[in-house]
Amino acid sequence: MPVPSFTLFERLYRFLSRHRRALYAVTLLVVVLGAFAASRARIQEDVVAMLPDDGSNVDRDFRLLQLAPFTRNVVITLKAKDAGDPGALTAAADRLAQALAEGGAGKVTTGPADLSGGLFGWLGSALPNLATGDDLARLEAASAPAEVRERLRRSYQRLLSPEGWALKGSIQSDPLSFSAIALEKMRFLNMIPNMRLVENHFVSADGRSALILIESATPMTDSAASRDLMDRIDRAVASGVPAGMSATVLSGHRYTLLNAETIKRDLYVVLTLSGFAVLAIYLLFLRSWSAFFVFLVPSSILVVASGAIALSQGSVFAVTLGFGGVLLGMADEYAMLIFFYCRQGGKDPGTITGEVARPVLFGAAATMISFGVMLMSSLPGQRQLAVYSMIGIVAAVLISLVVLPHLIKPAPQGTLPLGNLNPGWRLPRRPVLALWLVILALCSWQATKVRFNGDLRAINLVSPELRQAEEDLARTWGNMRDKALIFAEGSDLESALGVNDRLFARISGRFAPGELVSLAPLLPSAARQKENRERWTAFWGEGRAERLARELAREGDALGFSGAAFAPFLATLTAPAPAATVEGLKEAGLGELVDSLVIRSPGMVRVLTLVPDTPQLVSALSEELKALPGVHLVSQSRFGDTMGDAIIRDFSRYMELTSLFVLVLVVALFRKPSRILLVLVPVATGLICMFGIMGMLGLDFNIFNIAATILVIGICVDYGIFMVCRLAGESDPAASRAVLVSGLTTLAGLGALALARHPSMQSIGITVLLGVGAGIPAALLVIPALGKKEAP
Amino acid sequence: MRRVLLLIACAMLAAAPGAARAETTPAGSAALFSSLERSAGGVNTLSSDFVQEKHLGMFKTVMSSKGRFYFGKPDRLRWELTAPVASGFVLKGEKGRRWHERTGRSESFQISQEPVMKLVSDQLFAWARADFSWLKSEYRITVLNESPAALRLEPRSAATAGFLSHLLINFSADGRYVKSVEVHEKDGDFTRIRFVNTAVNKPLQADLF
Repeated sequence: MPVPSFTLFERLYRFLSRHRRALYAVTLLVVVLGAFAASRARIQEDVVAMLPDDGSNVDRDFRLLQLAPFTRNVVITLKAKDAGDPGALTAAADRLAQALAEGGAGKVTTGPADLSGGLFGWLGSALPNLATGDDLARLEAASAPAEVRERLRRSYQRLLSPEGWALKGSIQSDPLSFSAIALEKMRFLNMIPNMRLVENHFVSADGRSALILIESATPMTDSAASRDLMDRIDRAVASGVPAGMSATVLSGHRYTLLNAETIKRDLYVVLTLSGFAVLAIYLLFLRSWSAFFVFLVPSSILVVASGAIALSQGSVFAVTLGFGGVLLGMADEYAMLIFFYCRQGGKDPGTITGEVARPVLFGAAATMISFGVMLMSSLPGQRQLAVYSMIGIVAAVLISLVVLPHLIKPAPQGTLPLGNLNPGWRLPRRPVLALWLVILALCSWQATKVRFNGDLRAINLVSPELRQAEEDLARTWGNMRDKALIFAEGSDLESALGVNDRLFARISGRFAPGELVSLAPLLPSAARQKENRERWTAFWGEGRAERLARELAREGDALGFSGAAFAPFLATLTAPAPAATVEGLKEAGLGELVDSLVIRSPGMVRVLTLVPDTPQLVSALSEELKALPGVHLVSQSRFGDTMGDAIIRDFSRYMELTSLFVLVLVVALFRKPSRILLVLVPVATGLICMFGIMGMLGLDFNIFNIAATILVIGICVDYGIFMVCRLAGESDPAASRAVLVSGLTTLAGLGALALARHPSMQSIGITVLLGVGAGIPAALLVIPALGKKEAP
Repeated sequence: MRRVLLLIACAMLAAAPGAARAETTPAGSAALFSSLERSAGGVNTLSSDFVQEKHLGMFKTVMSSKGRFYFGKPDRLRWELTAPVASGFVLKGEKGRRWHERTGRSESFQISQEPVMKLVSDQLFAWARADFSWLKSEYRITVLNESPAALRLEPRSAATAGFLSHLLINFSADGRYVKSVEVHEKDGDFTRIRFVNTAVNKPLQADLF
């Protein structure tokens, strides 16, 4: 039977056989240039690689989540082993804070700004701007004669007590404690649930821990700078924490550092182990010096693909490089096919090249389609991965079909190593098919259990120490970081505050005291303040101020107060009150709070409200807030769900398109339905087993598994094509040998990835290992078993 | 402002030996302070009645009140107003309790969580220890008279100086206890506390604290 041939490659072989030195020189030059470019690549390790950059809500939500208070802070919990000496704790916190500041860690805070100066005065003076209708009703009650008597007596007695020494001024300006109404509004600014102030320090409810916050200019995505920052902090902690106390440091920088260092270690381990494993397989199965050139093919591809990405995109995502291990394992299949056919001999190398070009190009086309679909991804990391893989495949095809045939000599008598290793023809057909069907049925059932996990934290490494520190932080301080965020947005501060007013009015009734963090009660919009002031003026202008003055004079006289004692207070009832402003709040000592809740960006001001992040609440609020223009709610829990949905959507689209395109390609190439089905056996088996075993083991399907699935499709379709596209009928050992050995090298590469500690690499490794691990026996055993019936 | 009241309460805890020489030079002051520190080391308990006169602009006349004061080494203190209203507080280590006749209730508190009380206890116990190094860090101290000792304290911090002008502390003739304290504020108001019937190292009932 004549073997279909691509004469282009046959002719190319014959032409280049006369210019081999130039061919080798050009190939070497390309590889060297690729290595040079790759060596200058900037490796990007952050999560940006896996965030959509299409302006979608997912992207926006992720960026908004980064605006949450404390997200950008380094949080240090200083804990005393024994409770009972708050003074020692706060003193130690001060010493550590000083060591941190001197060490250049950043702006260090151990407590709020000194509130004793202006806060209470500010609250009192701002009351006319802040008082709601309900507040005025309370003032009405507080102005009743009996209440005035009681409150004034209380102030009088406080004046005589030791406390009174500190309170003379405030009693004079507010003898009836009206400003308590404004003070109550402070409860909406409690961002650390289990915190209380001790000597103006953040101290936990149990009195054993002090909180230290560091505001650092170091970007969390910069691993080198993060290393420097953490070193500074660790040094300060080592020198500044006294015996009997311990400090726990938490920050995004620590996560960045852990992930970056783990990825670097993984890269080293993966590339080293996969390299050695592939070499060992070559030595076992190829046993020829010319196998060295086959070994060089994937290495060269890795270099060329990395260099091309570095040249075209400047920076390379670390996960893309990690994927190089996989590519190293899979890209040798074309070279392997060339190798075995050339070693088998029997024809001149040019003819062999032309004949082998067909399955190689078919397989490469199917794999290119699989990766090409990934170019449509909204995730930059996945797109780069697609480009990287496609460059690698093109390079693999070119090197395999153009360069390699010149380097491989036929084996003596055309005998291949381990010639008796040909399992597909020795196993009985029926048991093989029965076992295959049982496995497919079992895996199809288990595949339904696979869960999709879109939480980005699932693909980040979290060490046990960091997890413990997170738990300790939540236990000590309450849920201070995992809050749902509601942004009131406007083109300027006033419009954002206006939206914030409406938001607060809408949702405040839902929450118990302390659950809601909002600026609205203390910083309403100017329009709302004007409204409040007018209501205040009208309230006191209806004769109430005069009545209160008379009541106060009578009761004061009875207690010995002079007639003018409370003139400052009475003046505030009718005098114009200065507006409550951001600047005023800052001067009153609430600057840091305001800065964390008012976020300015070019052309936009966002005022932040925090609520508990529970799925039910977030879901209900999402619906309710649709009616409020300019309000945007984001939550970590909902973000995870949204990402999960996006993954499912992306994955479904990939699967549909890849399946369609690959099917069209296979149909176009093989035409006969039975042969088409045979080609698809490894890929179908690989996918079903991959999902089935993942379901069985309780593994989630995350964002990296999409790339893994594409890889399974690309590789397994190649195996089907190789097995069905035989050159010399069913007994052709070269195709089986190529599938077996390239499959083993793929598994070696993937096996190394499974050893990675980083969840993203491990995800790729484990899941592709399952898919390809199932695809190989399906190609080697099931296709021949089915093919016997199919063969005429 | 808060520190003012504390000083009043605690100034009387200082015991000064009557043998201090009348010098106002830095060296002489240091000798006087050392002498006060040494004498305070021998004081284990104090109890005294006091009369408080408030010369405040917001009152028509001088407002007088009276009460009783107790101190037990190292960390117990009771400040009790008996007239015209009954109220007061007790400090014992890190814990405290206050009460008011008007409400009929008493409440416990942690000193460290009450800034005013924290200042009270810090200063009281600094005086009890006659910790002049700490007091000198807070106030510029001028010796007005050596026997009986009389001191004028001016706050160093600008924040405190914003409302407090100075303190005047007069010791008894034998220098063992404070006879009176005057707190002069920036606006001209002042408060005078006179301690009478002072007893040193007299056993105190445990339930006082």
